Order: sequence, then C-alpha cells, then structure tokens
Amino acid sequence: MSLLKIKDLKCHYQTDAGIVKAVDGISFEIDEGEILGIVGESGSGKTTIALGIMGILPENTTSSGDIIYRDHLLSSLYCSGLDRFRWNDIAIVFQNGLEVLNPVMKLRTQITEPMMKHLDISLEKARSKCADLFRTVRLDPKWLDAYPHQLSGGMRQRFLLAMALACDPKLLILDEVTSALDAFTRREIRDLLVDLQKMNGYTMLMISHDLTFVSSVASRVAVMYSGRVVETGPVKDILSSPRHPYTRGLVHSTPDIFAYKDLWGIPGDIPAGTEFKGCPFCPRCTQKIKKCNEATPNLIPVEGGREIACHRGGVAGLLQAKDLNHSYRLPDGQYLKVVDDVNLEVKEGEVLAIIGQTGSGKSTLAHILANVIRSESGNVLFMGESICKCNLGKNLNGIQIVFQDPFSSTNNRFTVLDAIKEPLDINKIGLKEERLQMVKSTLELVHLPVTDDFLRKYCGELSGGQRQRVALARAMVMEPKLLIADEITSALDVSTSANVLRLLKGLQNRRGFAMIYISHDLSMTLKIADRIAVMDKGRIVEMGNSHDVMFSPSDEYTKRLVGSRLGLCCHTH
Amino acid sequence: MANDRNSFIFRLVITLFVILVINFFLPRMMPGDPFSTTSADMPGEDIIVMTEEQRLYYLEYYGLDRPLHEQFYTYITNLMKGDLGRSIFYRKPVSDVIILHLPWTMFIVLGSTLISTIAGVVLGTFSAKNRKKGSDRMMMTGMIAFAEIPSFLLGLVLLLVFSVHLRLFPLAGAITPFAHYSGLAEHVWDILHHAFLPVLTLTLAQLTGVYLLTRNSLITVTTKDYIRTARSKGLGERTVWTRHALRNALLPVVTRTGFMIGIMMGGVVLVESVFSYPGIGMTLRSAVIGRDYPLIQGILLVIAVSILICNLLVDKIYSKLDPRVSI
Repeated sequence: MSLLKIKDLKCHYQTDAGIVKAVDGISFEIDEGEILGIVGESGSGKTTIALGIMGILPENTTSSGDIIYRDHLLSSLYCSGLDRFRWNDIAIVFQNGLEVLNPVMKLRTQITEPMMKHLDISLEKARSKCADLFRTVRLDPKWLDAYPHQLSGGMRQRFLLAMALACDPKLLILDEVTSALDAFTRREIRDLLVDLQKMNGYTMLMISHDLTFVSSVASRVAVMYSGRVVETGPVKDILSSPRHPYTRGLVHSTPDIFAYKDLWGIPGDIPAGTEFKGCPFCPRCTQKIKKCNEATPNLIPVEGGREIACHRGGVAGLLQAKDLNHSYRLPDGQYLKVVDDVNLEVKEGEVLAIIGQTGSGKSTLAHILANVIRSESGNVLFMGESICKCNLGKNLNGIQIVFQDPFSSTNNRFTVLDAIKEPLDINKIGLKEERLQMVKSTLELVHLPVTDDFLRKYCGELSGGQRQRVALARAMVMEPKLLIADEITSALDVSTSANVLRLLKGLQNRRGFAMIYISHDLSMTLKIADRIAVMDKGRIVEMGNSHDVMFSPSDEYTKRLVGSRLGLCCHTH
Repeated sequence: MANDRNSFIFRLVITLFVILVINFFLPRMMPGDPFSTTSADMPGEDIIVMTEEQRLYYLEYYGLDRPLHEQFYTYITNLMKGDLGRSIFYRKPVSDVIILHLPWTMFIVLGSTLISTIAGVVLGTFSAKNRKKGSDRMMMTGMIAFAEIPSFLLGLVLLLVFSVHLRLFPLAGAITPFAHYSGLAEHVWDILHHAFLPVLTLTLAQLTGVYLLTRNSLITVTTKDYIRTARSKGLGERTVWTRHALRNALLPVVTRTGFMIGIMMGGVVLVESVFSYPGIGMTLRSAVIGRDYPLIQGILLVIAVSILICNLLVDKIYSKLDPRVSI
C-alpha cells in the first residue's frame, strides 16, 4: 500500500511577471519503506513539490491536485489540520542554509520544540532523546547548547536531519541535502541515510539535482523537467539506459558516471515554467518533430516498470545495422573477412565510438554505414529506411562522412569555396547565392575565416588542421543527422587534433547530431564518446557505456587494448 | 579582547572630552552674560537691572572675568573632584538642581518609551499579520500622517483641548503645589494625573517609529527560511509568530528603544516647556535664557552622559539577545 500518493499536483506562483508553473501536473506514489528520488536541474520544480506536501508554499501560490497520506487527504486541510501530520508523520530535511534554522535559538530548543508539541513526553525525556538523536546522526551532544551559526555546513546538515527525526516520522522528505557539502561529508550523509533506512525503515522522498547521490540511495527515480515528470523507473535502468533525451543529457553531464569525458552540459536553459505549448524540453531537444511543438506529452508506461513522457517514445534510434559482413579478396585468392556479423545501433544525438587496432575493420564498417561501399549481407536502416535505397549522402539531414586524411580527401586544386560547395553543387541544393551563404555560415561553424581571400585559397595552401576543418565543413554543409568521423585526427599533431576534436564535440553538442567516431586513440575517445564499441578482427567484441568499457572491460581483447596505452613515465600503472 | 576594551575606553574618553569642550564653550559663545540679562522668565520674578559696577563685581565673583582657558581649566579640575559648580540663578550647587529635576524627566521619558514600545509592537504585529488587508493599509497611512506632527505642536493641542477647555488635566507642574495627601495612593494619582499629558505626547511622538519598525521587521522575518522550518514542524501559527518571528523581529526594536531613551532626554525640552513640567528640560530652557553657564554645562553633561550610557546598554543587551553578535 502506498504511503503517499500525489495526484495531478499543480503549483503555480502568481508573480508580477505572470504565472510561473513551478509544478504542472505531477502524479506519483511512494510505497512504505521505499526511497523515491526526484532529480532535475535547478528550477525544475523539485523543491516546490516538497513544500506542497508540507503545506508551506508561499502565499502567492495557487495549487490543485490531491496529496493523500495513508487515508488522509492532506491537500484539503488547512494549516491547523496539517499541524497534526507535520513533523509527526511527515518531516522534511531542508536544504542546508544559514537561515534555515532560527538564529537566536539554541539547537536544543529547536529540536525539543516539535517533540513537546507532538509527543506526549516530559521535558526531561525530550532532552535525553535529543542526545540520542545527536548520536544517531554522529553529532557530539555537546553541540546541543550551541547556536546555529556556530556549526559548520556539514554539522548543520546533520542537525537538520536529527531534527527531522525528532518525532519518528513515517515519511522523510530530503531536499537537496548534499548540495553544499564536500565529497567526504556527502559520503557520510549518504551512509547515514542508508543506515537509517535499514534500521528504521523510513520512507524517503529524496529531492536532488545530484544524480549520483540519489542513485546511490534511492530505488526508484523520477526525472523532472520544467514542472513535469519526464521519466520514471528503477534507478539502475534509468542510469544505464536513459530513455528520455533530457534524462540522457543529465546522465551524460554527470562527471561521476563519465569520469574522463569532457563536461558538456545540455545546451540551452530550462524554461522558467511560463506559458508554453508542447513539450517543455522541445527547445533543447535534438530529435524534435512537429508534434513536439504542439502538444505536451503525457507520462506513458513502457516496459520494465518505467514511464516516459516523449512523443517519440524516448531517445529514438537513428541507425540500425544488422548482420553486416564484408570480405576483401586477397592476392592469393583467399578472402579476408574484415566485417564479421556486425550489429549496432546509433541513437539520436549520441556519440558512438568504434575503437580497435588498425586492420580491425573499423574503416570498412564506417564506409558501409556511410554507403560508400556495399556490404555483402545484412542491411543498414537509417531512420527506418534502408540506406541503399535512398542515397542519404545526397540530401540534407542525411549521413555524412569525414575521412582520415585531409590531404587526400580534399582536392589540392580546389579552392576552399569549391571544396565545401561541391556537395551542394552536385546535388543541386539551393540557389547560387544561398549556397555561398551556406558555405560561409559553415566556415564560421568550424572556426575558419570567411573572408573572400580565404574562400579563394587553394586547399593545397592550407595547413593540415585547416584542411581537416574544410573537410569537416564540407560534411557539415549538408547538415547531417549522423556524422561519421573516420580517424579524423590521426594525421594531425597533438595540439591541432585537440582543437579539431573540441570543435567537433562542441558542434555535436550544440547541433545535436549523432556521431560515429572511429579511432584507435583510447584517450581521445574517452573524452567525447557516450558509448564505445570495441572491434577486433571484424567483430564487435564489446559495446557499452564508455566509462564501463574503459574501466571494467569484460572482453580479453578490450583488456589488452586498454592495457596497451603507453603510460607517461610519471604515471605508474 | 583586552585591546578591544582599551580602544573602547580610549574612544569613550575622547568622546567625553569633546562633549566637555562643546559644553563649556557653546554657552559662552551666546551673546550676553548671566548679569546683563534683563528678562525675567519666571512669573512673579522681579526684573533686576544691574548697574555696570554691579555686573563687573559679579563677573569677578564668579570668576567669569578671567581668560577662557583659565576658566576651562578650573571647570575641568572641579569636575574631576565631582563639583559641577554653583548655579547663578538658583544660588545653589548645580548637582542639587539636577537631582531635583532629573527624576521627573526620567519618569516621563522612561514611561513614554515603555508605553510607546509596547503599543508599537502590538500594533505593528497586528499590521504585519494583516498585511495587504484594509486594516493594515489604514493603520499605516494613519500612523505615517500622524508622525508628521511635531511633538510640541501635538502637546499644545492636547493642552488646549484637555486642560484648558475640558479641564480634565492640570495646566502645569508635576504635582499639585502645597497639597496634603491622605495616603500614598492619592499621591501617586496626583503624579500620574500631572504626567498624563506629557507622557501621552512623548508616547505618540515615538509610537509611529516603533510601529513601522516592528511591522517591517516582522514582514522581513516572516519570509525567512527558519519561519518556513518552524511552520513545517507543525508548531501552530501562534508559536511560529511569537517564538520564531517576533523573537527575531524585535531585535532592531530593542536597539531603537535604547537609542530613543537617550535622544528623548534631549528632545524632552520642548515638551516639558509646553506643559511646564519641572524636569531638566525646562530647567535647561530657563538656564539658557538666564545664561546660567554652570547649570547649562551641568544639564548638557547629564544629557550627553545618559545618551552614552543608553548606547552602551543597547550594545550589551543586544549581544545578549542575539548570539551572533559578540562584543
């Protein structure tokens, strides 16, 4: 039986600037003894839910919907009726702040106060209980006579927790309990919470933007965006395979999950909860369709006890390759199998890296996926259509490939303008002036000059880095949904390749296209990839979250590949 | 800590010295001297016109003919011995005159401050609780309009209405002259009867300040996170308001009240004059008119010192009330 049930909760703030829909139609249930996490960026309305449950929303709020605790409809009660439940049944651990505790009252008074009000106990007993509570949260009882300003941040957080436990509540709401704490204290608070839950079986509602923290304590998680829940499900599943584009963005920008990847947040800002039509995440989404602008998606159950609110049913698949095989005929008449039963999928906006040593078949695979060469068997579907039938390289929003060696992939005798404009010319896209404009804006994208001088330069006059960027611009001018980058940095020096790579990842993050990044350079790959596929002798031997593949490889070959990294002399691996 | 205390004492000494210098020179910078005045302020006083000879004689007698720095030196050395000098007008020690009149002033100042603080806090709390409602708006508008009336004008109106026309209160003095009391109760009643209008005037003059401060301070405090915390603890609105909100909101009120006592000691001059209330305010007025240098010096010194003491007390009390502040 659920302990707390929220049904279609709406909390709207009436401000001078208009109505802010901090919480806009949220429903969830918490079972007895369960820990539910609510995560989301700041401003997504998480704290408002907590205040709504406690009935302490500011005066300028209008709220509707039902809050049901056991059999009591809390949302229908006024202050005095709520007081019976506050702290006694539902207590809240507030976000740590200087003013969250009364500055002129001793800690002892602040903690005994609710006991005296709700529990029928003597002052003596209340006092001895205080000391016990202090010991429970590992705080020295000598601090009972201190004032709030005398505590450190971590101690104050512990005290807030002790205070919340004062009347042995059934439901504990934790609002951003770790946001201001250092890693060590954060860990301690986590262990404390886990212990408490084990010992006393508290039901907890944990609100945080700290996905790592929530995932280490909660069993289920709800991801909030702009006052709505966009995805719910068991923590493990959400972390390992986020379905909503927002959840994925959140997971991907969590450094604890991708320790070595460069931090790229989700581009754009959270809408302030004001009037909008359609899906709130739409302006930041990389896979939006027409419907996303028109209707707000509802939370729909999917398999595995999960729910998702997305018109496209979550992160959509972009490219599926099934049973690909390819062999080369050797001079001695034998066939060398370079692509052997390869299956893979690339999702919208995702960076998949394919790594392996030279000769493992990576480039051949890339060329098959880009429809440069045909596979012997199997097929490749791009947005549900076979790539062989509709030549995707010819159209905007298709697949583009950037090759390894810029010196041979761009013609020495072409000017920069011609080289980049070529795909537009061949495929007759746009008018002449439009093409020039497209070329110029693409050059800006790849951080190359747009002067006429530069446009008239011959590719042969350019440096390696500039030339690779021209090659990149030639692919980008077609605004691909999927970009295949085949060893694009291997011909460049360290600094140039770092610049090109950052540029590429930045473009990918901003524009939201998917990318297959082929490389033999492990360290580079770790910086940009979401998922890694390891190839050996034409087979994909391992595929998964880049961090997992790199740090807990399961396949022998992957282990060897990871182990083969040259350590610097100062690193002792 | 010892350093803090030393610098504190040093500052105190400097302040006192500056006060003494101003105290001494200011009266002497006024035109005239104690013996050239021809006006008699007190009713029934004879106008004594002195000859030039007599004037010089008295100047010499009181040592007022000597150079200023010598006079100042004498003033300071006597002060060190606890001697405030002799009043020229009353012909008795200044300290005696002050001791005679100071209690009356303290009585009405402390009384009015106490009443205005309590009333202001109660009204301010009422207003803050009913914020944005009609009762709050009306009360605030009324209070602010009322605060614009100068206290002596208010005193005059009260005097005219209640004493002159309605004859409910006496016109002057602190007690009925030559009265015989049948008991303590009657004595107390007489004192209260006389003090009523002056205290009322002073109370009304201070009320708006306390009211506004309480109201605004409470409104600020109620938006703080700890009020939200208290509310979520299910303590009940009454406890939230009194123990959590008021307790914090009254901190600035305490400071203000302390300062106001000090300021009132000086500001009471006009009100005492209106009601002819025999406190040091009225004594100061007549001393200034009569150019009674020693008495002016003595009274100004008492006022300055009481302001200093009040400020000191405020600091001490505040650090007791707010644990975040330590002196």
